[in-house]
Amino acid sequence: MSVKTTVSDTGPWVGQPLPRREDARLTAGAGVFTDDIRMPGMLHAAFLRSPHAHARIARINADKARALPGVHAVITGMEVEQQTKPISTIIPFKTFLPNYCLAVDKARYAGEPVAAVAAVDRATAEDAAELIEVEYEPLPAVVDPWQAIENPPAHVFDELKTNVVWHDTFSYGEVDAAFANAAHVVSDRFTVQRYISTALETMGVIGRWESSGLTLWSADQRPGFATHALTTALQIPHSQIRLISPDIGGGFGNKRKATYMAIIALLARMADRPVKYLEDRQENLLGLVHASNQVMDLSMALDAEGKILGLKLRDVVDEGSNVINPTLHSMLKFTNMLNNYAIPAVSFEGYAVLTNKCHSGANRGIGKPFMCFVIERAIEMAAKKIGMDSIELRRKNFIPASAMPYEAPMGNVYDSGDFAATLDTALRTAGYDDLLQQQAEARRQGRYFGIGLATAVEPNSLNLSAYTLMTGRTDTSGVGEGALVRMEGDGSVRVSLGNTASGQGYETVVAQIVADELGIHPDQVTVAPGFDSAVNPWLHCSGSFANKFSGTDVGAIIEAARTIRAKALRIAAHLTGHKEDELTIRESAIWAHGANEPLLPLGKVAMTAYRDLLRLPEGEMPGLEARHFYVDPQSNLPARDPDDKRLRFQLTFSNSAHIAVTEVDPNTGAVKILRYIVAHDCGREINPMLVEGMVHGATTHGIGGALYEDLAYDENGQLLAASFMDYLKPTALDVPEFEVVALETPSPFTPLGAKGVGEGGSIPSLAAITNSVEDALKPLGITLTELPLTPNRIWEAMQKARARQGTC
Amino acid sequence: MSGPKQHDVQFTVNGKTETVSVAPRTSLADALRESLGLTGTHIGCEHGVCGACTVLIEGKPMRSCLMFAVQAEGAAITTIEGIGEANAPHPLQRAFNECHGLHCGFCTPGMIVTLSAFLRENLKPTAADVREAISGNLCMCTGYQNIVKSALRAAELIEESKP
Repeated sequence: MSVKTTVSDTGPWVGQPLPRREDARLTAGAGVFTDDIRMPGMLHAAFLRSPHAHARIARINADKARALPGVHAVITGMEVEQQTKPISTIIPFKTFLPNYCLAVDKARYAGEPVAAVAAVDRATAEDAAELIEVEYEPLPAVVDPWQAIENPPAHVFDELKTNVVWHDTFSYGEVDAAFANAAHVVSDRFTVQRYISTALETMGVIGRWESSGLTLWSADQRPGFATHALTTALQIPHSQIRLISPDIGGGFGNKRKATYMAIIALLARMADRPVKYLEDRQENLLGLVHASNQVMDLSMALDAEGKILGLKLRDVVDEGSNVINPTLHSMLKFTNMLNNYAIPAVSFEGYAVLTNKCHSGANRGIGKPFMCFVIERAIEMAAKKIGMDSIELRRKNFIPASAMPYEAPMGNVYDSGDFAATLDTALRTAGYDDLLQQQAEARRQGRYFGIGLATAVEPNSLNLSAYTLMTGRTDTSGVGEGALVRMEGDGSVRVSLGNTASGQGYETVVAQIVADELGIHPDQVTVAPGFDSAVNPWLHCSGSFANKFSGTDVGAIIEAARTIRAKALRIAAHLTGHKEDELTIRESAIWAHGANEPLLPLGKVAMTAYRDLLRLPEGEMPGLEARHFYVDPQSNLPARDPDDKRLRFQLTFSNSAHIAVTEVDPNTGAVKILRYIVAHDCGREINPMLVEGMVHGATTHGIGGALYEDLAYDENGQLLAASFMDYLKPTALDVPEFEVVALETPSPFTPLGAKGVGEGGSIPSLAAITNSVEDALKPLGITLTELPLTPNRIWEAMQKARARQGTC
Repeated sequence: MSGPKQHDVQFTVNGKTETVSVAPRTSLADALRESLGLTGTHIGCEHGVCGACTVLIEGKPMRSCLMFAVQAEGAAITTIEGIGEANAPHPLQRAFNECHGLHCGFCTPGMIVTLSAFLRENLKPTAADVREAISGNLCMCTGYQNIVKSALRAAELIEESKP
């Protein structure tokens, strides 16, 4: 709908729906993913994982495994403790919680790796893993996060003497006064389950030791973190670790796994052979990472006219066994808790709690889908209580476009956007008035037909100074990225990034950006697929996270390209006798302003830079290569006053409005999505075709989270959904045809005016669907506060409501 | 090599006769990937749900993770590598590019192999037909919409190419 369908033959290239460069190899099955890499003598690894959620490991006997023909190396927690240090944490806490790559002394979740084997093939490695004898002493499992705080059956880490790994309060504005002056207060408890994006490629690693050190191939999305963690764990110099990311079969934040890398590095060293490991799907669901289950108590204060005066929030995040980056969900949730509303006062009390479950971590949108769920459900509840239309209530409270840039009480600065216009666009596209008539007719027929709306901000990039406010840590701040642009001697260009692509289409969009900057055709720009830490420029924060590409990464790309452009013009001026400011580059040539013919081909300038060294301008270094490390200028440091907890946590804000039209089966409780409308604004679109694809994909993740996906654990800490038979993903029959309309409000804070779009769809979709289903069930007066909306949950709610009404 | 003894299995892959020596427990997916180096057949779940490993056996889509290699004795197998050629891509391969039918590309070989069989028997499919046809293939990136669009576009391209 919004996609411009034609591609012109000339620039500017940014803004055009250019088909992707990546596709030829990927549609031919010629992509190279981690599992597609083979090397001479390569062994295959299998892990033995704990069947218990919580157990002391009394003894391990791996003799039979070691004796099996074809087995080259076996490693257990005992060797790991002797040969390595714990994996370093990303967000550290005052009490040091050792986290080794294999369980040492104690297993802390069902599925935690306890031992690992390298053998000639995967089947032999799995046979050997089964021969390892482990004597477990089961301990009570900590499963319920409230119980973990108040009445813990055990401690996940004994040394912590509590399961609360973090507890803090944050208050911005006059919260007590807001509630004292309120005409209306709505309060409720909201719950979201664990779910996860499950990239179709599971996580894998290959490790090989060479004279220069350790080389790893892995689908890792955060190479800076991973290599730093390994240098600490393996006690080898950082300069001797090389990490290569090949094609990545989906990431969504999930693919970061220093523990797997450390295990494989140890096995490869013991066996003196390359070793490959690839999760199977059960291992992936048990042990890669989960988005945490969360519970929030909300109170919203409103005045008599429906203006929101303040929020009081109390939140619990079930981190599972996460000691790498706990508080990530808490932080990204509460700092965005205003959503797109001008709310002057907010207090937040947060708990991050350890339980005997898979560690929580990054997943598309981290915490923000739940943020939006809570706020957009509360808006509906408030509207009902006041007797006002919820659309009107939203309009009354939106941060107005005229107030941009808008500094929120927490310190985030909203760059741009017209939230009311986005909402109106969604309503118009949906044909809202017609929908209301359809609903009235459906209700007359006794059908449960719902219309649900949610609006959301989609924050972009993440200022890592935020860690200081969570933990007091002062060695990490800001956010940035690296880019390398090199024009070769024929005028063609290669680019490599510190970020790692996992489906975003960087090989195409980066070529569009660089082509515009250098006055060349995108076909002349080759963007390196994948990542190589020995070649690509990168920082500790490098990689794919927090929607940072469109602002932060683009900054690095553009700065590097502009350095090359300026140098090419200096050389061209020297060669032609013109002044630099008389010249420009377009169509791969140097032109004097206003001339009809080019002065010389760009290739001539490039060739001079590499070959004709004595004819370069005096003092000019040969070559046309620029490596730029960009610091996002929007990121800042916390205030010196420790009581001032304001910060620009996230740096720019895309926004959207979703409308879900649903029907609930009155007999089974099954929800069918009849229509799904998205209006969104991610600033200037670099490639509208790819932008719309992101909206479809991210919204589908939200549909899965709202209706199907549930990483439920039983009371013993056993995961009940460890296969795609039990963990249901949306199929082509479950997902509707999305009706997408784009608005483009350029951001004043990013180099191209572009903003992120990768997470957006996943944020309002939980709320839009739940609002829709609750609206469908309005005849029964059901209130929905817990996800997912499985037929079972809906059916039970319908039965209770009918019993109340005396209609069943 | 430990484990059970190896069996020689002969089949045709993408028109070429191949003999592989495999253990009886080796899946067809593993034989194609490990013995023949045909890594375009992807393994996403190994329990028959995701469809990434779909290949054609005698022209019919099958999950190669749920079949033992020894069961394919004598069969004619088509993998993604046999669907089109670099100089002459299959209409589906062209349409997936034109309509942005893929992001990460991991599910794509299974999708294209499944749809190649579907489009042979369904010359003028509707969007609903396509959704039904790919309902056994999971994609975590696209939300399916542009895959459906790609399949419909491929049907047009096939129609246009007829004399």
